[in-house]
Amino acid sequence: MNSAQPFFDFTSVWSSMPILLKGFAIAMACATVAIIIAILLGLIVALMRLSRVKILRWIAFIYTQFFRGIPLYVLIIWVYFGLAIAAGVNLPAIPAGIITLALLNSGYLSETFRSGILAVNKGQIEAGMALGLSRRNVMLHIVLPQAFRVIIPPLGNQYVDAIKDTAILSIIGVPELMRESKALANLYYRPFEFYTFAGLLYLFAVLVVSRGVSVLEKKLSAHSAQTTVIIDVLN
Amino acid sequence: MNSYKFDWAVIDKYLPELLKGLWITLEVSLVGMAIALIFGLLLAMGRLSPLRLTRSVANGITQVFRSIPLFVMLFWVYYGLSLKFHVLFTEFQAGALALGITGGAYMAEVFRGGLLAVDPGQREAAMAMGISKSTTFFHVIFPQALRVVVPPSVNVYVGLLKGATIVSVIGVSDMIYVAQYVSLQTFTPFELYSVAGIVFVALTVSISGFAWMLERRLGRGRSE
Repeated sequence: MNSAQPFFDFTSVWSSMPILLKGFAIAMACATVAIIIAILLGLIVALMRLSRVKILRWIAFIYTQFFRGIPLYVLIIWVYFGLAIAAGVNLPAIPAGIITLALLNSGYLSETFRSGILAVNKGQIEAGMALGLSRRNVMLHIVLPQAFRVIIPPLGNQYVDAIKDTAILSIIGVPELMRESKALANLYYRPFEFYTFAGLLYLFAVLVVSRGVSVLEKKLSAHSAQTTVIIDVLN
Repeated sequence: MNSYKFDWAVIDKYLPELLKGLWITLEVSLVGMAIALIFGLLLAMGRLSPLRLTRSVANGITQVFRSIPLFVMLFWVYYGLSLKFHVLFTEFQAGALALGITGGAYMAEVFRGGLLAVDPGQREAAMAMGISKSTTFFHVIFPQALRVVVPPSVNVYVGLLKGATIVSVIGVSDMIYVAQYVSLQTFTPFELYSVAGIVFVALTVSISGFAWMLERRLGRGRSE
């Protein structure tokens, strides 16, 4: 160690800012695309779990248990180094990472959706049916919009988890924040500074998303409270 | 198709090494959990402190450590802290410490919820009987909070167990490390990682199931 150097020296972090911010943007993009795919997959699996067909329920149950139980790191090396090699597929790192993140999150989200759907008052479904709507329309136009309101907070948490999980994508070579931080920390021999800064960026992302979710939640709950008042008045 | 040759016999051959690796994963996660319990309880007590400064410091620490990915924490501890402060952590210690810090932030939330769930009348009753503050905490509040705290703690542990799989990246010779090492020699990554995956799913699903059972049991006792 050169004792003439300052104890904390963030100049190399500062000069590497464009690379780090690009890595951060890639991480956020991966998390966002993954969560969108996970919402679609999770919804399908949730509907399967609530299906009248027993075999569909079972498949969905096993799917959920599996992806909720497997550690991301194990899943990602299995997909990227195991499955891809065994199947002879040349899977680029970014799609592989996004698919893995999406599968993992869809397991959690299907449970969220399921409980959200179950939380919708049964009377709503019965009323829809009584009005002669088909099961599909009741689900699409009555149950899901109401369930969506309930699941906003857990959905936000899942997004936060996905953002944090992108750090593991560095293992397979996705050029995201952690991958760049590792390379730069080795280059400048300043691991403390680079990892501290990476941590702060993740913290920033998490705080912004959490704040956004709680604002959205307040807006929607204010709306739903209003609706309730109107219904009460009508009654 | 390519020329990948499946060879499941490799699992049988390296089973002792894989199990030894699994044991190390369990050890790291358990030591990490022990640190998380102590750290989390301290943070929770800080967050419920009557002193405003203590409260905001504890709240801040919880928020920060919950928001930083475990993977970043691991590198921060193992490479960052050790180089900066000249503490030489072994890979195992760094792994357990990173798990303990992250897990502690999650446990702070769990303990806080548990402590708040205890009826305030219990504390008032203890005060009225002239019991000291620390005795009240350890003999009246804490045992009652424990009932609320145990099931979510098991879930935090499941999270740490899953997180513990990444310690192989700093060179802890856990199950994944063994699988990687063996597959380099035998070229059977699919078989080895599949087995590792199945083992972890079996472990986490059964522990989560146990937590679910506990929750129902303890919940039943509570309502009586």
